[in-house]
Formats: sequence, structure tokens, C-alpha cells
Amino acid sequence: MDIIFDIVSVRTFWRFLLFVHFLLAVALLAAVTLQAMAIMIPVRQAAGKFLQRLRPGPAASYAAAIVILYVPTFLLGAWIYIKYRTYVRIPMEQFGHWWTVGSFEFKEHVVTMGMALLPAYWYFWRQPLSEEHASARKWVTLFLAFTVWYAFVIGHVANDFRGVGS
Amino acid sequence: MTHTLDVNERISQLDRSHAIDAPTSARSTIPTRASKFGTFAITFGITFAILYTIFERLNWPLFTYHPAVGKVDFWMQRARSGEGPPMYWYGWLALAFPGALVLGWIATMISGRWLHRATIFCCVLAALWPAALAFSAFIADRASFDAEFLKSIWISAIPALVGAAAASCFVTPQWAQRVWTGWLLIVPIGGLVVLGYSLKQYFLR
Repeated sequence: MDIIFDIVSVRTFWRFLLFVHFLLAVALLAAVTLQAMAIMIPVRQAAGKFLQRLRPGPAASYAAAIVILYVPTFLLGAWIYIKYRTYVRIPMEQFGHWWTVGSFEFKEHVVTMGMALLPAYWYFWRQPLSEEHASARKWVTLFLAFTVWYAFVIGHVANDFRGVGS
Repeated sequence: MTHTLDVNERISQLDRSHAIDAPTSARSTIPTRASKFGTFAITFGITFAILYTIFERLNWPLFTYHPAVGKVDFWMQRARSGEGPPMYWYGWLALAFPGALVLGWIATMISGRWLHRATIFCCVLAALWPAALAFSAFIADRASFDAEFLKSIWISAIPALVGAAAASCFVTPQWAQRVWTGWLLIVPIGGLVVLGYSLKQYFLR
């Protein structure tokens, strides 16, 4: 670490990590949202041409990308969490931003539960898709989408308090 | 032997291409039993959620990390003066992850029938034990006599174990199999409800 800190400042290093975490999270958010939409909007539906045109590609095509993006986003977030605990949470408590502190604490549980479901999620989306697991596949995917959305929104709120560009 | 293998491979390829090309209605012909990886993955998801929730609630981390001084202590250590806030989250993960891995591996070696019953037993126990403890504490606080012994987690384990054993014995194997993948969502959501409730101190200030 000292070699890195000889080149860039500690502040710049953590901000860079946070920015990479943000980029991965945006890509993950896009993938889970498109997949969730593909599940929720059936192929043949009478909602009109606009929604039919909006409908993303086959849901299965996003599964590998979501697994590949979820793991490094989680690991990078776990690393940055060290800095959050000392550099962000303490002033957050001093200013009395208890809702943000509580929501961020809940975020760590939410993303952990999402991480635990990843092997099953990957199994459900393996080709050929099993009709038996159609319901489990749908709900696990929606749960993952919820974890990513929640983590993204709460992470963004915490970043606004003390992070990149704040 | 080689011929047999070739034939098997071709049959398997035919099955695969048939399954991919088949319309949705015909996909139900795919074997309904989960593969070993599927058994592992589903069991891992369920057990990880249970273990993580338990370790967080009991505050049993494998280690405690003190980020301000970069120090790691075995098991749970409270904050010490001049060492900044302790972090337990990594320790809960470090304990829950191998635990779920081992249980997922064991699940691949036992019969599906036993696995489904064991899953019901563990999930019902995980729900009943804290419920029984909360109920016991409620009774103990309102009893006119000294009922502090009811607040013991081991006392509340008795009705929880009986309830879990009854639930796992009386359900039919078909029902146990049908709901098995359902636990994959019920347990993490239940865990999040418990963990979210434990954070109420932040939202009620």
C-alpha cells in the first residue's frame, strides 16, 4: 500500500476506488434492471407497441454478466467499507444523520443476502432453462434486482454526504 | 466401453439440443431433480442466510477488525480506547461463508428426502427459536412471580425444537420437495426483516 501512496495521495486512492465501485454498480444496475424487465414484461403482451419496443433482450443473456459484476462490486464495496467506517460514518453520527447510518447498515445485510443467492441464481439461469424452477428463477432475479437498487440508492446518499464530488 | 461412452454422449447432446430447441411447453420434460451443483447452490443460499443472521444477532464474528489501527483480533472484541471503532461484518461473513459451504457440500451427499426434511427443520427452528425467546421474555416481564429463568435462550430452545421436529415429521415428502426452493427466498427475506428490526434504534431517534 505504501508504494501506491508514494504515487497518489491516500484521498485520491480511496476516491478512485469509490469511482470504480460506482462504475461497476452502474453496469450491474443496468444489467439487473434489464433482466428484471425482461422477466416482468412477457414476450406477447397487449400493452402496445411502445413497451414491446422497449423490451430488452433474452433474460438469460444477462445472467453471466450479473454474476461477474456482482462479485467484484461486492468485494470492492467491502474494501471501501473500511474507509466509510472511519471517515464517513463517524461524522455522519456527529451530525445526527441516523437514517442514513441505519440505511447504510441495512445495505451491508442486503448485499450480503444477494451475494448468498448468487450460486442459486446462476444455477437457475443455466441452459437449458428448467421449467420447474421458473418461479424461483423469477423471484430470485427480482430479489437480486432489489438488492442492487437498494445498495445503489443508499450508497449514493452516503456518497453525497462525504464522497466523490461531495 | 468407448462405444458406450460415445452413445451416451450423443444421447446427452441430443437431449440438450432438444431441450434448447423445444418450445416452452415441452421443457417440463427436463428432469425435475436438482443436480449436485443445484443442491449445493440452493442449500448454500438458505444456510448462509440463516447463519449470517444468527451470527449478526449473537454478534459472533470470527474476527474483529479495527480499521483505525489496522489490527485484527480473534472473535469479538469491544472497542478499545484510542483504537477507533471495531468492525464485525467481515467476521460474520468469514464465519457464515465456510459454514454454508460445508453444509452445502453435506447436502449433496444425503438423499433429497432427508435434505428437504432437514431444511424444514432448520428453517422452522430458525423462526421459532427467536419467536419463543421473545414470547418468554414478554411473559417473564409481566409475570407476578420471579420468571427470569424464562429469558434463557436454552429454555426457549425446547418449544422451538419440538415445533421444528413436529413440522419436519408431519409434512409430506411431496410438499417438502415443492417448497424447498421457496426457502431460498423466505429465509433471506425473513433474515432481512430480523436484521432490519435490529436497526430500529437508528430510525426511531
